[in-house]
Amino acid sequence: MHLDWTVFTYAGLAVFAIVGGLIVFPLLVWRRRGDALPPQFRRNVPIEIVTTVIPLIMVVLLFILSYRVESAVEHLAPVPSVVVNVVGFRWSWQFSYPGTDVLVAGTPQRGPEMVIPLNETTRINLTSVDVNHRFWVPAFLFKRDAIAGMNNAFDWHPERLGSFPGRCAEFCGLEHAFMTFTVRVVSPADFKRWLLEQRSRSTAYRKTPQ
Amino acid sequence: MSVIAAPTPAVPSLARRGVLSWITTTDHKRIGILYMTTAIGFFFVAGMMAMLMRAQLAQPNQSIITAHQYAQLFTLHGTVMIFFFVVPFALGLANFLIPLQIGAPDMAFPRLNAFTYWIFLIGALTVMSGAAVNGGAADTGWFAYAPLSGIKISSGLGQDLWIIGLLMASISSILTSINFLTTVFIYRAPGMTMWRIPIFTWEMVATSLLVLMAFPSLAADLSMLLIDRHLGGHFFDPAAGGSPVLYQHLFWFFGHPEVYIMILPYFGVVTEVICTFSRKPVFGYTGMVLSAFAIAGLSMGVWAHHMFTTGAVSDPFFAAVSLLIAVPTGIKFFNWIGTMWRGSITFQTPMLFAIGFLLNFLDGGITGVMVASPPIDFHAKDSYFLVSHFHYVIGGGSLFAIFAAMFFWFPKVFGVKLNEVWGKVCFVCEFVGFNLTFFPMYFLGVMGMPRRVYTYPNLPGWGLLNSLATLGAAIMAVGVILFIVNVIASVKRHTPVPDDPWGGFTLEWATSSPPPPNNFDWLPPIRSERPVFDLHHPELAKTGR
Repeated sequence: MHLDWTVFTYAGLAVFAIVGGLIVFPLLVWRRRGDALPPQFRRNVPIEIVTTVIPLIMVVLLFILSYRVESAVEHLAPVPSVVVNVVGFRWSWQFSYPGTDVLVAGTPQRGPEMVIPLNETTRINLTSVDVNHRFWVPAFLFKRDAIAGMNNAFDWHPERLGSFPGRCAEFCGLEHAFMTFTVRVVSPADFKRWLLEQRSRSTAYRKTPQ
Repeated sequence: MSVIAAPTPAVPSLARRGVLSWITTTDHKRIGILYMTTAIGFFFVAGMMAMLMRAQLAQPNQSIITAHQYAQLFTLHGTVMIFFFVVPFALGLANFLIPLQIGAPDMAFPRLNAFTYWIFLIGALTVMSGAAVNGGAADTGWFAYAPLSGIKISSGLGQDLWIIGLLMASISSILTSINFLTTVFIYRAPGMTMWRIPIFTWEMVATSLLVLMAFPSLAADLSMLLIDRHLGGHFFDPAAGGSPVLYQHLFWFFGHPEVYIMILPYFGVVTEVICTFSRKPVFGYTGMVLSAFAIAGLSMGVWAHHMFTTGAVSDPFFAAVSLLIAVPTGIKFFNWIGTMWRGSITFQTPMLFAIGFLLNFLDGGITGVMVASPPIDFHAKDSYFLVSHFHYVIGGGSLFAIFAAMFFWFPKVFGVKLNEVWGKVCFVCEFVGFNLTFFPMYFLGVMGMPRRVYTYPNLPGWGLLNSLATLGAAIMAVGVILFIVNVIASVKRHTPVPDDPWGGFTLEWATSSPPPPNNFDWLPPIRSERPVFDLHHPELAKTGR
């Protein structure tokens, strides 16, 4: 995805420089000097064909790049190593790890934390229980909609350790601004340890008499 | 239709005065003036809303206004700017200009024309009246996604008023478009063949066709929302087999063509302005016309690029069609450059705003190509990057063209020229202020600031970039105030202007300023797309095509 951003940004800057230059150039060179009429030409077919074909070639190339990057981004691994079910609700998130008892839910005051392992594939299953939300981690350059009645699946394969802030990116009501969360990427060993800790914590919780 | 008669001459309306004469008018010029002044009034209102939002966001963690007030503000700001300013200003300008540009005495259906204005005004006031009811105005954003806009979550009357008001505005736009198309197709003066009508009128033909295709989808979507809210429908309720994604499909099937409805008329405006101030015919007339229809046609097939992140649409298809729109848009840019090429260029205020349009719209167009690529959209969507992108298109594009249009046609509409010096100062304020407001937002978006948040944490750089944006907005506001003062002062001074102060090309410059009730006492011969130029330069007049 970085590749897509880089290529499109540089292509965009180049187009801005060239077309912007072509807009400013006549303003500097052909200012009105007297009453004589300028040449009244109306067309130049070869130039018009060239200025149609060049942008066409550019967008075809950009589309090919965009298509290939998107295919890689949206590729779902046959067997992910970790699965996290994410549910958006007004106004926080709930993360659960199927096959374990681990369940983390946040509040608008305190967003929940998702822990995932480094260099392994994590499948996220995303949905909502009320209005549309959107699950966005800016550091991963990625977001996906959480829509009630729909499951959206995608894979993450983090290659950097650290804590990354995430936010809701679809207006969902008054506290939308505080619908935050954190994704913490840890080493696979730390991830196993974290999972065990969470399990014992939830078991301890369950043993507490109601 | 058996007889194509000229419309019944209206009562000489510009001679009559008083409020009643304006309420009962069917004169296309008066209706155009009503549309445009109403639209400008709404621009001031929605601009003040923007200033309040920028004040709230000037620094992190501020609480000048509440979350609920902020939600109402951004909902009304978007709704009013789109539905009650940018679109109706274009409809008003077209109302005023189309009959003049094609040499007709009025629109094809003058009474329908008056009806569309009044129903637009009532619709707009209905939406605004939400601010006065219990629970406040609609607060679900200008696209009001279900289920957020459903009765369970947004039970207030404000949301209903918003729906009903927009339904009225939809009907108004649809009927006006029928009127425009009929007028252009059958009320052209002798000699005014389709391939001689001015580019602005051509752009309005494309716009009107788009309105006819797009607005019914909005009307359907809003009606379904209303049925869900009050008649026990379940169109968008997943618990009962409905689909929130359906709302988005119907909305954007309207919503993306709407973007072109907001820009095509202004392509026409800058074309006329650039031709006049370069003293040259438009370069590539045929390309200009065909590209307008190519843009209109393609824009009907890109709606789901607003839904790349839903996981419910074929991203590659919609990405491909969206990227393709860059080609006809590029044709327009090269034709504008070709028109200025080797020209005899002067820099009156309308031309300055047209140049501002070119540069800002180029910026918005390029970032538009970026967000047409799904992997970029996955990060940019509904971040401040996107906020900046569409403001570069609609604010830096359409708004600048609206200023160009106001300075350019003000002498024709009112017989008074606006002050040039203060006009240029206004342009500098708008251009500097606009770019200072919206350029920093690209960075805010990439850094992860989502749109529609009423406050934000004190992260590195966020406060500074937001302060710059607020400063820019204040400079724009100064420019708008200068514009208002300029209008008042120029009208008061009332220095008479000639009928054709700029050396215009099209038929509206052949008649008096303001034009007489039925527009023309005489018409010059029409042998090209610029009959007034041919009249002044018979030695260069093109004979036939």
